[in-house]
Amino acid sequence: MSRHEIRLTVNGIDRTVEVESNKTLLWVLRHNLALTGPKAACERGDCGLCTVLMDEIPVKSCLILAVEADGHKVTTIEGIAKDGVLSPVQRKFIEHGALQCGFCTPAAVLAAEALLKRNPSPTREEVVESIEGILCRCTGYRQIVDAILDAAKMKT
Amino acid sequence: MLPKFDYVAPKTIEETLELLDKHGQDARLLAGGTDLIVSLRARERIPKTVIDIKAVKELHELSYDDRRGLGVGAAVTLNRLLRYDATSKHFPVLCEAVSTIGDYEIRNRATLAGNICNASPAADSAPALLVLEATVNLASSKGRRSVPVREFFAGVKKTVLARSEMVTSVNVPTPPRGSRSGYLKARRTVGEDLAVVGVGGLVTSSSKSGKAVRLAYASVAPTPVRALEAEKTFEKDEPLDKLLDQAIPIVTKTVSPISDVRGGREYRANLVEVLTRRLLRRLWEAN
Repeated sequence: MSRHEIRLTVNGIDRTVEVESNKTLLWVLRHNLALTGPKAACERGDCGLCTVLMDEIPVKSCLILAVEADGHKVTTIEGIAKDGVLSPVQRKFIEHGALQCGFCTPAAVLAAEALLKRNPSPTREEVVESIEGILCRCTGYRQIVDAILDAAKMKT
Repeated sequence: MLPKFDYVAPKTIEETLELLDKHGQDARLLAGGTDLIVSLRARERIPKTVIDIKAVKELHELSYDDRRGLGVGAAVTLNRLLRYDATSKHFPVLCEAVSTIGDYEIRNRATLAGNICNASPAADSAPALLVLEATVNLASSKGRRSVPVREFFAGVKKTVLARSEMVTSVNVPTPPRGSRSGYLKARRTVGEDLAVVGVGGLVTSSSKSGKAVRLAYASVAPTPVRALEAEKTFEKDEPLDKLLDQAIPIVTKTVSPISDVRGGREYRANLVEVLTRRLLRRLWEAN
């Protein structure tokens, strides 16, 4: 099995990590870099709870080999609040009660951050599409969609 | 945990083909990874070497012109294809089909070439590519060849790709002027799901009295299928409902749905009829 030295920027910090070829980005974030925001749940691309931003695009980190992230910029939920100040999306999630157990929250917040960056005033339909790959088993989708729409209003 | 394998990322097609020659059946090609990583984890087939094609520049090419049609490199992601103006302008059926694959995040990685190379009977892009009469461009160290997408699928999860051969791009010719196309998919949930049945259609008003219709189906046979026999029915100049009454029994003979976790055989057969009628009514009116 091959080993690779990869360089990536994680939450704004340049990191160099030696990884085995069969380790996923999710595994390296959680085990080598101690970032447990991305969750290891289904690990087959269904639940979306391992979502991270790669070059500002939301992707499922369980379906990406760590070596594929070489040279890329990765953002996890740990990189969203700046100096302890929550982002508008995070604040709106709290206001709307858009979480119960919280397990899907990092993924949903990251998907929302990416959506509002590429489309600052999305329709309800566009919000729903942006989180279609993220499963919430506490059935809180309405609050999540409301929170994202409200955060969009704040930003524009 | 994934099984053990080596990872290589060649920079040119020639290098990729050399690696394929060297490793043969022990190698798997990696583009978006949204099917490959899942199958690795399930240990369906364990390769010794995974060859990542994303460092090959040529495979990222996405182009359109009226004469040559749409050219989609093997590493072009589905979301990039969907954002490309020419896709929605000239190929509505491809747009509608591709936008139902996986979910938004999957489409940020997944590729069109990967969707057909995985050769799932449920591949949503396949009915679209079938009615658009796309060709698949292949390369091996022995040379290059093109295969009509209709001849590309060889069975469940099987294609005509030879050992050491790869898909470099998919070419989609511009449909006839004035044609209309669309894709309908039945699934169990509103969000991400594989097709219970998928139907792609393309309707062109011909200069004579009748219309030229192309129909293709996903999830109702070992491979995605084109309903060539049934299509001939529509050459007659009769009301659509009458034509459908004649065409549906022929479509039903073309497909051979199975019962699985997503739906029963009878249910699928019924959906074939319902979706075909619904799709053609939609495409007919505006003609």
